[in-house]
Amino acid sequence: MQLIKGWFTAAPLLWLIVLLFALFPIYTTLADLPFWNDVAMRIMLLGMAAMGLNLVLGYGGMVSFGHAAFIGIGAYVTGIANFYGLDNGWLQIALALGICAVTGMIIGFLSLRTSGIYFIMITLAFAQMLYFFFVSLEQFGGDDGMVMNRSDFVFIDLWAPLSLYYMIVAALALTALLLCVLVHSRFGVTLRALKSNQSRVEAMGLNALRFRITAYMISAMICGLAGALFANWQEYVSPDIMHWTRSGELMIVIVLGGLATLAGPLLGAVVFFLLEEFLPEILAHILPAYAENWLLVFGLFLIAVVLFGRGGLIGVSQKLRARLGKGAG
Amino acid sequence: MGKPVLEIGGLHKSFGALQATRDVNLAVNEGEIHALIGPNGAGKTTLIAQIYGSLKPDAGQILLQGEDITARSVEERVHLGLGRSFQISNVLMDFTVLENAIIAEQARQQAAFRFWKPAFQDRELIRGAGKILTRVGLEDRRDRLVSDLAHGERRLLELALALAADPVVVLLDEPMAGAGPEETQNMTQIIKQLKGEVSILLIEHDMDAVFQLADRLTVLVEGTTIANGTPAEISANAAVREAYLGSES
Repeated sequence: MQLIKGWFTAAPLLWLIVLLFALFPIYTTLADLPFWNDVAMRIMLLGMAAMGLNLVLGYGGMVSFGHAAFIGIGAYVTGIANFYGLDNGWLQIALALGICAVTGMIIGFLSLRTSGIYFIMITLAFAQMLYFFFVSLEQFGGDDGMVMNRSDFVFIDLWAPLSLYYMIVAALALTALLLCVLVHSRFGVTLRALKSNQSRVEAMGLNALRFRITAYMISAMICGLAGALFANWQEYVSPDIMHWTRSGELMIVIVLGGLATLAGPLLGAVVFFLLEEFLPEILAHILPAYAENWLLVFGLFLIAVVLFGRGGLIGVSQKLRARLGKGAG
Repeated sequence: MGKPVLEIGGLHKSFGALQATRDVNLAVNEGEIHALIGPNGAGKTTLIAQIYGSLKPDAGQILLQGEDITARSVEERVHLGLGRSFQISNVLMDFTVLENAIIAEQARQQAAFRFWKPAFQDRELIRGAGKILTRVGLEDRRDRLVSDLAHGERRLLELALALAADPVVVLLDEPMAGAGPEETQNMTQIIKQLKGEVSILLIEHDMDAVFQLADRLTVLVEGTTIANGTPAEISANAAVREAYLGSES
């Protein structure tokens, strides 16, 4: 019991956001805004992928610039399986996870021998290779991508209202739980220790590569799961899903929310999308001259968060709370 | 003193034209504190790196408890009973003292590759970690963040982590480096208490500490061992005085 309680109390904000997502359709139904369900699904999927990347980037200190590739693999495995009539969703997800694990192991094995800028470039290079590989697959639409039907999840009818929505909520909750457990486990603690000081951990007789490849594989699988669900949500798969800018987007979301925090990536994804959605409108009211160039203001906001709150939004809120606490006492 | 536990024979290492290690011979006996001294640039760091396994020698042999470890990786050497401390404090800065020890304890148990229970709340690990800290007298600092520790306390934690896995031989690379007189005295006492428990190869510049602690010394000059013996023999050795202690007489 203590154990299970610990997982949830470790990241109250994370579970609060997951809960809000679970309750969100009540609002959209009452207010008759079904479009916002789609936005919420997109945010959840991006947040989930960012949570996966955070295991490697935040907790492991490995700056992977190619994680969109695993989202792409997850999506394409689903799309291609559907194309050949293998439309059982559970099977597709199992296949996507398996292929992401193997690809993650190979890419990890080859790239984790390097570090710093070389690691960033090698992971980007692998992602670009995979991107152009899918672009070259003419029978699956090449550049234009392929339209697909939602998969058949046997007991769950994905065409029923909100069934895909709650499937994504469930996947998000599962990812959240997995990370809460992993980060505090012996494995997670060793991974963080390796980020802090690799030579000390190696002097303890531990093999850094073994821990890092495992983390890399797990994060690849989480991104693959997000990709498989993304394909079902979009009913369409194209190389766009794994464009290198998406890898960058994942990194921005993590840094914005808070590196190496459990809630950070999901919070970052929410804030990222809300800003993208509302910033142009807000600017039109207060600074009409900048409304068209809202990305400029967005960039300034990102820089401010990174400079003033080194722990992202989570760091800023902790600092504020500490200051308010001091003021009160 | 007992039989040799760490034996180095005919070790050579060159970097281009520079012979950093030339025919080094050295033996650390069971339970002794063996000091390796030599002026700056004598090749102590290169020698330590070869014993530890981060650098491969060009020729020669390193035996740990009679087993040839010359071709073994760092990881394998640690499992065979080699521990080390680093010249620059090499501790986990973002963690507390206890967390440092817990990470060392799970490595000692060779049980770090587990994914389930939270490590920092594991009673068994906390108990083992407590033992690691008690050895150097840091148990009352256990909840401090390492980045908040004084320099001397970090040096002690460094020592504790080096000893955590109960090594047969531990390489102490300048444990007194950067420490004040009081801290040096404290460190000397703690190392003295280790005598007999673990065999120590001590690299140290502080000659007072070396002569207080060492059972035997080996002198390294220009990459080669020019003498070894008891402290009394070494201080009486003409070649050593010439090459190393000479400036004082």
